[in-house]
Amino acid sequence: MNPPNTDLTERSHLALEDAILQGALKRATDTFIERRRDAVATVPDWEGLRTRARQVKEHTINHLDYYLEQLVEKVTTLGGQVYWAHTGDDVNRYIIELARARGVKSVVKAKSMTTEEIELNHALEAAGVRPIETDLGEYIIQLAHEKPSHIIVPAIHKTREQISDLFEEKLKAGRPRGVSEITAMARARLRDEFLSAGMGITGANFAIAETGTIVLVENEGNIRLSTQVPKIHVAVVGIEKVIPRFEDLSVFLRLLPRSGTGQKLTAYTSFLNGPRVEDVFALDENPHAAGDGNGQRATEQRGSTQQPHEFHLILMDNGRTNILADKQMRESLYCIRCGACLNVCPVYQKIGGQAYGWIYPGPIGAIISPQLQGLEKAAELPFASSLCGACRDACPVAINIPDLLLALRSKVREERGGKLSESLGIRGLSMVGRHPLLFRMAGKIARGLAGLLAKDGRIQSVPLSPLNKWTRYRDLPAPSGGSFAKWWKDQGADD
Amino acid sequence: MTKTSRAASQTQVLDDVRRALGHSNTIKPVPLEPFVEPPSEEDAATLVERFIEEAVSLGCKVYRVDHAGAVGPCVAGICTKAGVDKVVVSGAALLAKLGLSTQLEKHQLATSCVAEFRETDKEHLVTHLAARMVGVTAVDAAIAETGSLLLTSDEDQALLVSLLPPIHIAVLKVSQIRQSLTTVIEKLNSERMGHDGRRRSATLISGPSRTSDVELTLSIGVHGPKELHVIILAG
Repeated sequence: MNPPNTDLTERSHLALEDAILQGALKRATDTFIERRRDAVATVPDWEGLRTRARQVKEHTINHLDYYLEQLVEKVTTLGGQVYWAHTGDDVNRYIIELARARGVKSVVKAKSMTTEEIELNHALEAAGVRPIETDLGEYIIQLAHEKPSHIIVPAIHKTREQISDLFEEKLKAGRPRGVSEITAMARARLRDEFLSAGMGITGANFAIAETGTIVLVENEGNIRLSTQVPKIHVAVVGIEKVIPRFEDLSVFLRLLPRSGTGQKLTAYTSFLNGPRVEDVFALDENPHAAGDGNGQRATEQRGSTQQPHEFHLILMDNGRTNILADKQMRESLYCIRCGACLNVCPVYQKIGGQAYGWIYPGPIGAIISPQLQGLEKAAELPFASSLCGACRDACPVAINIPDLLLALRSKVREERGGKLSESLGIRGLSMVGRHPLLFRMAGKIARGLAGLLAKDGRIQSVPLSPLNKWTRYRDLPAPSGGSFAKWWKDQGADD
Repeated sequence: MTKTSRAASQTQVLDDVRRALGHSNTIKPVPLEPFVEPPSEEDAATLVERFIEEAVSLGCKVYRVDHAGAVGPCVAGICTKAGVDKVVVSGAALLAKLGLSTQLEKHQLATSCVAEFRETDKEHLVTHLAARMVGVTAVDAAIAETGSLLLTSDEDQALLVSLLPPIHIAVLKVSQIRQSLTTVIEKLNSERMGHDGRRRSATLISGPSRTSDVELTLSIGVHGPKELHVIILAG
């Protein structure tokens, strides 16, 4: 992916000045925070689940080679095909070759961060294969030629009026009035696409090493349709998505929907084992498919006139092994992409997903994007945080995001060398801090200046100073009259 | 990409993973101890009530019937109320045993069964299902804690019948209601889902298809069914 051609500050200004976006962000983040809090309360021991999930992720990532090999063996036994992709381009090339070989003209896609990451849609379009995003939010984004602004609700920055205008212009089937007509119009249009597409492409929420099962959670039904209707299903999965055992799902499936949308379970949770059962050639290459006597396998023994269904699992590295190689940063790979850290982040709440400039927004994006794209391309992201720690507390696998942000900041410093003004500033601050007399004088001067600028206890701007950046969008509370040292003395406390 | 370069990339990723971990070759790890949670016990009557409460809160309509002969009229009632016919019935053993297709014919509902499509190709079946208004399935299990239904590919075409028509009616027996997600995951696991190289898929359904993608406003029935009716049969 190419770096955005504006810097984070410019993009943040644009976001802050967009009143519609500000309203949408407030509504989305407030709603998700509240829903998540209620959903978490339905689990007796939430912390116990988080601790376990983190343990499982840590264990799996530290033995990733073993679990990947196990997964590949299982998927292959089930009749699926596995492709290891070193880069995003490898993934795109593989899918295009497959589409060409099978004469696929159009592809239905489920919402997938991995395919966004590698810009699969661009590659498919360039190769003459038409990709259709089928998640409603992604469909809107695709029609508008925009980028998603939230992991869970990609089109949260658009109003229903804007979407109605968009549908009227692009779909040429009248203007939908209200949300249910928007949904109905998308349903009708996309239903035709599902029935005619030659291939369905999804990501995966989890891939179970022990059983070769791909697990997908969703609310709309577009993932079920994408995996069950077209002849070919391709799952593009980051190598970090593997978990060891089927039983681990009982932990992760309680954490993921509650953290993401505040649901106990999403409307659909699908467990897919290899190519679809019902249209596999009768007893072809799979000796285990023989009937078990009670007729349960009847479905596998018919359909000999049909084309076999194909399942392709693409295991993608695309920079993940670089993260894996760094022992401290490794825990970035525990992320299950729930979006909880976005909603609670005071920075995300104000600037939204698009301002980050990369596919993965919010606190987790500020960690993942620089590591996947290269530190030099996204160096500004680790600095877009107040390090308040709300993300760490919300994370269902307890990723220590603030520590990782700090680690990335020092990496950026190492690579760039510090600015002169900054190191002089730090040295000055340190000198003032070490000399009580200087400290008291500095305090007095600052309070005096603040008193001159304050109006009704608020400071609205600080002329000729870097604090102007702070006061551009908010007021600075005026300091109270006296110093802390004086207050302490007045309390009669000992030194 | 040529065959050779593809083969090269096949080992490269795994090699990179091993190098990043500092492993010279892959070693089988000692698995984590199983995760033990205190079991919560509920008696059968509470399970049904809990299931109904959760399912209704997800937007399902729930009906309780006390004998097999009441299932057909219940399905017919739902169809009449929605003003539709063109019903398709999955190949579930339970539905066959209830003689559901025959029951529905008696109510003058155009009824088809997926068994009629055994010899045709998949595209015919999909086209047929997409044009039906109502799909009736049984279920493999239900979850009280979440109001969910588990459907698996063991039931002939249950996954498509519950997906393509705009109305889904699921028939389940009281005894199929389990307590928690954990018990249903354990059930799938103990049935060796995927362990024995058997192709099998499953979907947990929790309410009708939904989206909040436009202004976070809930809208029902985006790609899957708009209506989900659950008929609970005593026994």
